[in-house]
Amino acid sequence: MNISRRFFLTRGGVSLATIGAGALVGPGFLARAALAAVDRPAGDKRVFVCLFQRGAADGLSMVVPHGDPFYYQHRNEIAIGRPSKTASGGAIDLDGFFGLHPAMKALTPLYKSGELAMIHACGSPSSSRSHFDMQDFMEAAAPDNKSVQDGWLNRTLRQRRGDGNTSPFRAVSMTSTVPRSLQGDEPAIAIRDLSTFGIQSAGGSSSAMASGFEGLYANAAGDVLHGTGKESFDAIALLKKADPTKYVPAKSVKYPDGAFGRSLMQVAQLIKADVGLEIACVEVDGWDTHVNQGGANGTLAGRLFDLSRGLAAFRQDLGDHMDEVMVLTMTEFGRAARQNGDRGTDHGHASCFFALGGRVNGGKVHGSWPGLAPHKLFEERDLAVTTDFRDVFAEVCTLHMGLQTNQLASVFPRFDASVERFRGIVRV
Amino acid sequence: MRVIKACGLMALGLLLASRSSRADDAPASLTEHQKAVHVLNRLAFGPKPGDVERVEKMGVDAYIRQQLHPETIDDSATTEALSQFDALSMSSSHLLDSFFADVKSYLHAQMMAGNADEMKLRYGINADKDSMSVPKVEKPKTTRDKLIEATGHDAIRAIGELQQAKLIRATMSERQLNEVLVDFWSNHFNIDVKKAPAHALKIADDRDVIRPHVLGKFRDLLGASAHSPAMLFYLDNNENSVARDRSRIEKTLANLYVSYKLGMKSAGLISEREGPNENYGRELLELHTLGVDGGYTQKDVQEVARCFTGWNYSPFNGNFHFEANRHDEGVKVVLGHTIAAGGGEKDGEQVLDILASHPATAHHISYELCQRFVADDPPAELVDHVAHVFTETDGDLRKVVEAIVASPEFFSLASYRSKIKSPLEFAVSSLRATDGQFIQPISPVFGKLASMKEGSVALSYDDDANATRKSVNRSIRDMGEPLFGCSPPSGYSEVSKKWVSPAALIDRLNFALALTQQNVIGVKTQTPKPAGDADAVVNQLADAILHEPVSPATMNVIEQNAVGSDKTVDAAKVTAMILGSPEFQRR
Repeated sequence: MNISRRFFLTRGGVSLATIGAGALVGPGFLARAALAAVDRPAGDKRVFVCLFQRGAADGLSMVVPHGDPFYYQHRNEIAIGRPSKTASGGAIDLDGFFGLHPAMKALTPLYKSGELAMIHACGSPSSSRSHFDMQDFMEAAAPDNKSVQDGWLNRTLRQRRGDGNTSPFRAVSMTSTVPRSLQGDEPAIAIRDLSTFGIQSAGGSSSAMASGFEGLYANAAGDVLHGTGKESFDAIALLKKADPTKYVPAKSVKYPDGAFGRSLMQVAQLIKADVGLEIACVEVDGWDTHVNQGGANGTLAGRLFDLSRGLAAFRQDLGDHMDEVMVLTMTEFGRAARQNGDRGTDHGHASCFFALGGRVNGGKVHGSWPGLAPHKLFEERDLAVTTDFRDVFAEVCTLHMGLQTNQLASVFPRFDASVERFRGIVRV
Repeated sequence: MRVIKACGLMALGLLLASRSSRADDAPASLTEHQKAVHVLNRLAFGPKPGDVERVEKMGVDAYIRQQLHPETIDDSATTEALSQFDALSMSSSHLLDSFFADVKSYLHAQMMAGNADEMKLRYGINADKDSMSVPKVEKPKTTRDKLIEATGHDAIRAIGELQQAKLIRATMSERQLNEVLVDFWSNHFNIDVKKAPAHALKIADDRDVIRPHVLGKFRDLLGASAHSPAMLFYLDNNENSVARDRSRIEKTLANLYVSYKLGMKSAGLISEREGPNENYGRELLELHTLGVDGGYTQKDVQEVARCFTGWNYSPFNGNFHFEANRHDEGVKVVLGHTIAAGGGEKDGEQVLDILASHPATAHHISYELCQRFVADDPPAELVDHVAHVFTETDGDLRKVVEAIVASPEFFSLASYRSKIKSPLEFAVSSLRATDGQFIQPISPVFGKLASMKEGSVALSYDDDANATRKSVNRSIRDMGEPLFGCSPPSGYSEVSKKWVSPAALIDRLNFALALTQQNVIGVKTQTPKPAGDADAVVNQLADAILHEPVSPATMNVIEQNAVGSDKTVDAAKVTAMILGSPEFQRR
């Protein structure tokens, strides 16, 4: 990195306000300098996309264990049928034992091409069934440990800091507030929508007002608002480069309508714009299917339809960039093996995570299947956990994000991360 | 010798003098002025012009006493402003009917648009467009009819009115503490109106459950919430039943009702068998009473759920309805208490009695109230003291709040301006500080049924496509706090520093700009134009809004940006900068 980059990029350096208004509004002197400066060391364009299914998504419906007879005993009204050439609504066979929910057919080609893998019976050792707590535990990567304040993704960022990337867009969440997993000392930005991220003032005074506010927040040293202010203005300036209002996805790519599709599209946009993104967080909720979950059709099927179309569109939109990108879905816990009285399912334990990317060891359902026989169920009601989610996270941190194994202890408190337990989701 | 003595005396004199001057200098507590500002920031949504002076004059203690008795405060202007919102007094029965009409129209439109496959996937609907009855579309006659027609039926309009009413009350009401408490308790007993038809049922919940009980007994508030159709539906207790088979007549009637209401072939959505659903039981313990560390077990959750089987609402009139045939009549054990068999509806009441008087509840409620009124991380001693008051007064919420504001921690430097305003608090305090008025006639229209996915309603706020011109309601949503629209049952966190993030901050700055540029839909504000030189003008505006002088560094920045080369001060710009300043984000 040469001296001029450092000059502009170090925190507490030259304020954007004193350079001049032009820089804030369009590609200008500072933006160009910033542009040049966010190049990371050649070869490291790795991006990790964390896709949290909030509300406890039913792994048994997403990746159906059609080869396990107990599945059909436990869910007589809402089970997905076995794969069949004649009857409709059955699971899409994956490997003779597991099948994909029919609403997720958009993912079948990705499984077949080896870019998509699943990790079944994956979850948390904590036996809590509180959404609130378990999401916290998963995002902190610290089950049953309420003393951990920051998130695993923030700690991962800190461990990666040595690579010289100081872009304000290292970590972005497409939400209105920064999720727990990204909370911590490393800066992270929550952006609801790229196209409206900026100061908007009437009468052409946007840049003047922006620099005014920037000055106020620069002065508020020692206040939690000071840091937030600085991140905001740094990000606005850099985002002009991505020119979000003009983004068009790759040919014939159609994201599903709604916030989820839009989030994925904007993450793709940020990746392609090369703004220094390392970690992106996307959320999708509505998985808490206590009532009328439905089988091949119904409320859950609708959600899975959108989820899979979104992931497929994202992959298609990114094209070759996908070599450096990995998406991992996760959910705080799964759902009970048996259906409840309302054709739905109550809170469970293990669920199923999905990994998508050019370097994923796909075309496989990873993990170790404990079976659904009543005596094999966790607390006699739920799919048991045979892969601790932290082992999956640790594999992502090392094999995808490039951390050394001796850095894992800093990311996973009170956990003895070990390559021996990696499931082999990422190609070495 | 004499010299040494003289030095000694002098030294002693200096020592005494410095001790006493240190005693004078040491800021032991807030000044009267700061106390007035503090009480208006904590027990109210921020001062309006003249409020600080008024409170200083009457004395904070008198102000607090008055606010603790809202019924003694004249609030006719607010009542007058709200009188045009007729949907707020509509019955749940009518609003539910309206909801079904909305769904019918939506399904019909989807069928017409050729989305039958997607409807089948999402809802299991087997109807094709030919078999659906076409909803009657009456030509709008009056302006009011046109308004209703443009915005959807009454249920959607009602929730829009409820959101607008919340803003009007927070901004205008003289009973400020009451409104702060309504905000707190609505959040504590959170209901997400996006889960249809919670939006239709929430009107009654706000009116009958939350508002009348905020300064009464906790047990009464809890009881009202446990009987609330909106709450029972939101947390799936309408599905909570003893394990049983539905009779054929039951199923037939239910299917017929759905078909009739939605104008579509029965989708067979009603299942043969039904049974327990723990959702309400769990959240009652985890969120509403004991708290997540309150010492209950998974078994307690199940037993509580059994006690509340049959607590439902009637789809015919939207009112609470206890269904004895769905109630689990067996013996239950909840937190060590045995609940005898055959108790019927009394089982649930007994559970509520146990929970309301449990020490963990006293602690949990006290902790949250201390978070709202004192600090994100309130001192344990304070919480313990307040919990003690809660228990001693049998959950008298007025006495509990009184204990909090009488505590040394409340009027302390540590507490002063220590909390970050929530989006609602920021927007409303901005309106109050700039004497914001709602433009007449106040539009009740703030939403339309944009889509219905998996039983949830997507409300679209005024003109979502317009990125720059927004209503107050939509601005607050964009800052991260959709009113009555918090998805997780836990509600928005009372840890105020969680509201701070770059995107949310930018939204606040944009709101400050829009407000002073008269670019916020539905409101207008005043920008005073004080006389004097640049420094004097900035100081006066800062004093009027922040009630304390700005730092020289801040003065510098403001003048650089809002004072022209000809020394004229752009008062609107100064106001925008003060409203967007880090200082104004705090309360």
